Amino acid sequence: MIEMVRRFLRQRFGSLAMAIALGVLALLTAVQAAFSDPERAYGTGFLAIILIAAGSVSKDASDGALQMILARPIRRTSYLFGRYLGILVVFAIYLGAIGGLTLLCAKGVPVLFGPGTAAELSAAALGRGAATAFLNAMLFAATLLFFSTFLRGYADVLAYIVLQIVLGLFPMLGEALQKPWLRKAAEALRSNVLPNVDWSEVLRGHNVLGEPTGRWVLAVTLFLSLAAVIFSRREFSYGHD
Amino acid sequence: MISVRSVSKTYGCLGRRTRALDGVSLEVRRGETLGLIGPNGAGKTTLLSCLLGFLRPERGAISIAGLPPDDLAIRVKTGYMPERLGFDRDLTGSAFLAQHWRLAGGDSRETVRQVAAAAARVGLEGDVLLRRLSGYSRGMLQRIGVAQATLRDPELLFLDEPASGTDPIGVAVVRDRILEAKAHGATIVLNSHQLPEVEKVCDRVVFIDGGRLTQTQTLRGESPAPHRATVRVPPDRREQALTALAAAGFTPEAGSDGSVRLSVASEQDLARAVKVLALADVPVLEARSSADLEEMFRRGGPA
Repeated sequence: MIEMVRRFLRQRFGSLAMAIALGVLALLTAVQAAFSDPERAYGTGFLAIILIAAGSVSKDASDGALQMILARPIRRTSYLFGRYLGILVVFAIYLGAIGGLTLLCAKGVPVLFGPGTAAELSAAALGRGAATAFLNAMLFAATLLFFSTFLRGYADVLAYIVLQIVLGLFPMLGEALQKPWLRKAAEALRSNVLPNVDWSEVLRGHNVLGEPTGRWVLAVTLFLSLAAVIFSRREFSYGHD
Repeated sequence: MISVRSVSKTYGCLGRRTRALDGVSLEVRRGETLGLIGPNGAGKTTLLSCLLGFLRPERGAISIAGLPPDDLAIRVKTGYMPERLGFDRDLTGSAFLAQHWRLAGGDSRETVRQVAAAAARVGLEGDVLLRRLSGYSRGMLQRIGVAQATLRDPELLFLDEPASGTDPIGVAVVRDRILEAKAHGATIVLNSHQLPEVEKVCDRVVFIDGGRLTQTQTLRGESPAPHRATVRVPPDRREQALTALAAAGFTPEAGSDGSVRLSVASEQDLARAVKVLALADVPVLEARSSADLEEMFRRGGPA
């Protein structure tokens, strides 16, 4: 699995275009964090996780690189979870870079633009912002990884968007049809499949082991387990006879 | 070593189903080099994918040393080179080989030495290994593909068109690596359209067409199939050569290129034919024999 994490890091940081894209995104986030609320600035993390995680398995499969790896003595689940860990490690490095850049901006802005131009920088807020982005990325990456095990190319991102739309539509449909049971069922489905946890509160120590946190753990586990089952059973053809 | 029993595999669904393999059965002995030949779309790559455990047969069974092909105990002994070179193009040559050395279970302390040795064996040395694979030519990619497949001297080697797109020196390098693996006792399955190369390295070839194994021909070892020999003599002595060979029990034919063609059981048989011609005072300009796989290919299997 370690080799798979290492490989993922090389793939992502070995690509100049990817490194530049992540660098620009990190800089924009850092500037925003230095000038406004750091906790909110980290909200752009979902863009970075799309860049990092999209097509993580499907691209390897279509390139044929996956078949060469699977011919080696490595379990399919090791490959899969190696990819997942790789995504999280790359994202953690990205968040670390944002932290560093934010501190630089916070020191640099008053020098360049005069005192009082930068927002009051709180290390705790910065940490909470990064932790929130990371926890949200864990579920987002698990979802993309799940779709990537059976969809082609970057269709995993599209599938995630469709899932969001479908889960958002059903409660509205229940409302429109005046079917309270449909609205309740749809809301329950949405809060279990893609739970929305207020990490800002949880990280402040409120409701740490509450229902939303439990749903989030369940959803991450569910997507990773389904990804493992599908990927272990999937056939991989290559080339032509 | 490798046992394939009545394997069938179909692609597609509903009305668009294509049968890629239809009841294929074959055995590959330990240390044997088996060639898979057949036209495009015959089912060779599908068979290789099943042997590697990437595809699962709908019917029939495949076992390697009594284990399923995707068992990790088999994977540890396996080297594989795909037809499509889907490498990590952003990696350098040495990083790519190092990655596969570690994935194959190699000692990480040995990585640098083993990578350099594997690359040198396929003629890739120095700065070439520090370049990204995206900058490699097709021939260089083939070479590094063979280098990764032969890392750790695998007992099982699956090669899919290993010399495709390489120059004559590259073809010779690939052939030497296959022969080296063979000398180490590896069991090799080779899928290639380069029939002269197949003939040079394989002990046996199987002809696959329309998903079926239509024929098997032994090239080396016990009771090899008759070879086609071509003997070139001066044009004005050809009739004399045909008469002398016929008198010695051969069944010679006049070739369209002015040569004499005959069927020989072995290289000793060819040497006997040359001796017959020498005794008949017919100068022999050239004598060679081959399994005539091209003819087998044209006919869709041995006659």
